[in-house]
Amino acid sequence: MTNVLELRGITKRFPGVLANDKIDITLREGKILALLGENGAGKSTLMNILYGLYKPDEGKIIVRGKEVEIQGPNDAIAQGIGMVHQHFMLVPVMTVTENVMLGIEPVKNGVILDKEKVAKRIREISDEYGLEVDPTAYIKDLPVGIQQRVEIIKVLYRQADILILDEPTAVLTPQEVEGLFKIIDTLIKAGKSIIFITHKLKEVLAVADDITVLRLGTVVGSIDPKEATSEILATMMVGRDVNLVVQKQPAKPGEPVLVVEDLFVRDERQHLTVQGVSFDVRKGEVLGVAGVQGNGQTELVYALTGLLPLEAGTIRLLGEPIHHTTPRNILERGVAHIPEDRQRHGLILSFPIHDNMMLCTYYKPPFARGISLQEKAIFSNAEALVKQYDVRTPSIYVNAGNLSGGNQQKVIVAREFSRPIELLIASQPTRGLDVGSIEYIHKQIIKKRDEGSGVLLVSSELDEILALSDRIAVMYKGQIMDIVDADKTSKEHLGLLMAGVHPSEASIKN
Amino acid sequence: MSNTTTPAPETGKKEKKSSSIWQELLVPVLAVVTGLILGAIVIVMSGENPFRAYGALFAGSFGSPVDFFEGIRIYFTTGETAALIKAIYPFTESLVTATPYIFAGLSVAIGFRCGLFNIGAEGQFFIGALSSAFVGYSIKGLPMIIHLPLAISAGILGGALWGMIPGYLKARFGAHEVVNTIMMNWIAFRLSDWLLNGPMKASGFRPVTPNVEASAELPRFFSDPLRFNLGFFLALLAAYLVYWFLFKTTLGFEIRSVGANPDAAKYAGMNIIRNFVLVMFISGGLAGMAGASQVLGVDHWVGQGFSAGYGFDAIALALLGKSHPAGVVLAALLFGFLRSGATDMQSMARIPVDIISIVQGMIIVFIAAPDIIRWFYRIRTAKKEETVLTRGWGS
Amino acid sequence: MKKFYFVMAALVVASLVITACGGGASSNAFKVGQVTDLGGIDDKSFNATAYAGVEKAVAELGVEGKYLESTQQADYAKNIQQFLDEDTDLIITVGFLLGVDTATAAKANPDTMFAIVDYAYPDCWEGAVEGKDCGSTTEISNVLGLTFSTDQAGFLAGYAAAASTQTGKVATFGGINLPTVNIFMKGYEAGVNYYNAQKGTNVEVLGWSTEAGDGSFTGNFDSLDDGRSFAESFVQEGADIIMPVAGPVGLGSAAYCQESGSCKIIGVDTDWTVSASEYSDIILTSVLKNMNVAVYDAIKAAQSGDFAGGVYVGTLANNGVGIANVAGASDELKSELDAIKQGIIDGTISAQ
Repeated sequence: MTNVLELRGITKRFPGVLANDKIDITLREGKILALLGENGAGKSTLMNILYGLYKPDEGKIIVRGKEVEIQGPNDAIAQGIGMVHQHFMLVPVMTVTENVMLGIEPVKNGVILDKEKVAKRIREISDEYGLEVDPTAYIKDLPVGIQQRVEIIKVLYRQADILILDEPTAVLTPQEVEGLFKIIDTLIKAGKSIIFITHKLKEVLAVADDITVLRLGTVVGSIDPKEATSEILATMMVGRDVNLVVQKQPAKPGEPVLVVEDLFVRDERQHLTVQGVSFDVRKGEVLGVAGVQGNGQTELVYALTGLLPLEAGTIRLLGEPIHHTTPRNILERGVAHIPEDRQRHGLILSFPIHDNMMLCTYYKPPFARGISLQEKAIFSNAEALVKQYDVRTPSIYVNAGNLSGGNQQKVIVAREFSRPIELLIASQPTRGLDVGSIEYIHKQIIKKRDEGSGVLLVSSELDEILALSDRIAVMYKGQIMDIVDADKTSKEHLGLLMAGVHPSEASIKN
Repeated sequence: MSNTTTPAPETGKKEKKSSSIWQELLVPVLAVVTGLILGAIVIVMSGENPFRAYGALFAGSFGSPVDFFEGIRIYFTTGETAALIKAIYPFTESLVTATPYIFAGLSVAIGFRCGLFNIGAEGQFFIGALSSAFVGYSIKGLPMIIHLPLAISAGILGGALWGMIPGYLKARFGAHEVVNTIMMNWIAFRLSDWLLNGPMKASGFRPVTPNVEASAELPRFFSDPLRFNLGFFLALLAAYLVYWFLFKTTLGFEIRSVGANPDAAKYAGMNIIRNFVLVMFISGGLAGMAGASQVLGVDHWVGQGFSAGYGFDAIALALLGKSHPAGVVLAALLFGFLRSGATDMQSMARIPVDIISIVQGMIIVFIAAPDIIRWFYRIRTAKKEETVLTRGWGS
Repeated sequence: MKKFYFVMAALVVASLVITACGGGASSNAFKVGQVTDLGGIDDKSFNATAYAGVEKAVAELGVEGKYLESTQQADYAKNIQQFLDEDTDLIITVGFLLGVDTATAAKANPDTMFAIVDYAYPDCWEGAVEGKDCGSTTEISNVLGLTFSTDQAGFLAGYAAAASTQTGKVATFGGINLPTVNIFMKGYEAGVNYYNAQKGTNVEVLGWSTEAGDGSFTGNFDSLDDGRSFAESFVQEGADIIMPVAGPVGLGSAAYCQESGSCKIIGVDTDWTVSASEYSDIILTSVLKNMNVAVYDAIKAAQSGDFAGGVYVGTLANNGVGIANVAGASDELKSELDAIKQGIIDGTISAQ
């Protein structure tokens, strides 16, 4: 068995940061190498070097036994290296064929685009690997899972035999993940070699032939999946023992905090994305809202927090209607909100940490006296919260934009938890975070529940929903398919509901 | 259309180490220097001597040190002030020229801080000047202590209301402020044409307002021809107040939040619409104050061609000053010295005043596209993040 | 980078050296300085015409001449002061907007000679404050006001227009209703009326009435769009000859006439077949206000020590005003115009 790709002693420095420190990895022909690591461990830098987007300061790249120099994506493609990015690079208003040929448009008779030729080849590739993609479909009409296959086709069309998949499962339903794994299997059987980048431990164990773990820019070690467990991998990634299972007592639900009845909401493009949703959240419980992203969860949360107006329905907080009031009024009634998009809503990246720590309470004592901001109080508040919530930062004067994702999320959590709250709305609270931060945020959420707050947890990570929730509502196309008790359901059952299967059928199948 | 620039220093001095202040200043300073060098090349191409030109520019904006010391000597030996006054004339004229620039630059800068692009400063400048002039000449017999503040307030209020209209239109109907402020400019220009030929026309045939009463004039510190007046210090005070308002008050915090990230501002419970109206009110008020300072401090009457385009240059000032009051003051002083010195340059070296506009234009290009400067001088980019000053047409 | 520092250092040192020298050697030549108004030196009328007189003096009399452009009203006093600081012998200011500043500076510097184009002292009216609302209640001995009886030339243009119209209607409009503007229009109307009286016709004048003292005005001297729309509406009212007395605004009218082919233009101040030659085909004639001649004469007098304050009036007699060739004029019209010109000079015909 030969090594199709070797990286030897790759070092990459950025000003003040050693992003990759003498990294060695080996990809065996026809095998899957899982590259595991927290955010900031250096995975992306390494892959960008391999793809020619960065130039390494030291080290060499050996493809099929030959040392090569990769100056840009075109060199990478010439070496048979293809990359499927986490964020798809597709043009929604174009067809599959048009997207695949972007950048390498074949022409016939000198000028005319030869679409048929490309479409034919796409069908061939699609058949060969079981991708089931229609070359004439428009990207915007395709589900996320299929869009990802188009990305894979783009790479295969360019005749890559080393595929880099960057966090490929982040946007998929459990069923779609299954489908992806089947495709990966076919690819391997056809002789392709794959680097699979992820931070999800279970997936690694499910598919990988080899596992290499990165931490802080260095290789911590390589391990055979047969000998690995989630716990071992997590410890390698984080550098200490990690508690993967959230320790929690059974909930002691009290009075309803939040009662939502027959809610309809239009999104910013005036599409009716929430269609008649009703539920309640009680004191001391976590209600999880599961669902594939884009099924109305975002708009539901916006409506609850006053960021979007209601089309119809009622929202009551502790019995009082809050659906015609302002975001500020909702905040003041004790609603904390960890927003889905922390960089868009949660933080002002160009402001220092101390300002972000009082973003919602800047107008109240002790932060303000009249209209005059009290810097002393602002700074001491920030110092205290940074300490209490373990935000890793050189100082509170650093701009929020310069923090890592995990620390940004900690700033938000610290701010939201630092005022009295009746209801916590946490939307995708651990998206893109590393294992250590996830563990921390999960603990904080359960702590709030145990203090008697109601918690509404919206997440597209089923593991997270299952780990934290006491009850689970599944959203599909703007409606709640079903609300089930967390201890009476399974991942498979939820997956079916998420895919729009009617509750009665979903239970039967289960 | 969206306008980007490198991040501005967000807060006061405390957290900024001196090294990072130099970082902030490096690109603007190099932009100015490069602009002057390219200006010199243009001067050479037009067949003139750039050393002579810039020598005259320097002498015209700062005065000659030799004359200054000679003036002091004469004053102490003979008690004659004429030579000294002549020696400080260029320097004070530069400050006089910088005064409306400071106000107008602050006007646009505070708009930028809230993500608003106030192109209407020129119109607000005119309305402010006309309002001040009206109160200044129509009310007679008041003591200065009442009349002057009244005339200044009229200018501020006139400009503020003129600015608030597009602010309100944006808040209420979502009409983009760039379009509306341009429209308001044209209304202001034609309104002033009409006023100067009709209701506000002085007796006599000239289409100008009457002179303001002496009690409404900003006091001058020296005798003619020195026009240096209280307006300059009011401008510095305004810069400090804007700084305090933006960085030390809750209202300023809201404005900066709305400008830096309107979604997060909304999330934090801030009323974005109210901030738009408030900021356009303040921005218009500052532009109106620019007009007031010019009419009450320098001209004492308003005629057609009252402004040399202060409201439009103000956009450049705000960019050059990175929308920070201190930066705006420095930029306004620079423009004041350039503009004022240009008179000497024009006379002594026969360089048309337009060359200063070219230099200013090039400085603005380099500020707007700092990568040119970074590339030219091989400056390593400290951080790549960019702040959006204003949002596009669609948002 | 090093090279760059060197260049910069050299620049700074050189500028300091030049500053210290105080602007270099000053010659003993007679110094003339012109301060423009807001139109700038390239306005193709007013400021440019006056400066043509300075340039002629530079070429023929050996004086040293320069100009300073004003970009805002605050520049007037500043630019005059600049010339005073340079010990300029004769300072020429252009336009009524400089009226007050010129008078103030002249009184403060009695040894410097001044000439002001299109203005004269005394200019104060009852109740006006001298030095603020107006320049002076008396003549100033070191200021020469250069004024022009453009009504005389306007009269000839009006007569020519009446003789040339096909529709029986001719028009005029102004920038702002100022004496220096409406004097053109007064003469124009009078010329048309004179033609009617002589020929028994009934040619109508649109846009001005001396009796009412008012007419059509754009309200500004810079909007070409206004010039276009004014011309368009006059044509709709039936006029086919238009005299715009509004500086560059008239170029908008000329553009409209050229595009539509429905009207002719009478230029003002200079001969537009020269200064706006792209419109030569639709220029009927131009009312000449020979500011260059007046300025040249003033410089010549000042240099030779014959300068006297007061008022110069440009007339048909002293060639201070005049009319350019009338396009397509018959010999009959030419001789009639010559006769009228003589009549005005003699005083047998009144131009207003």
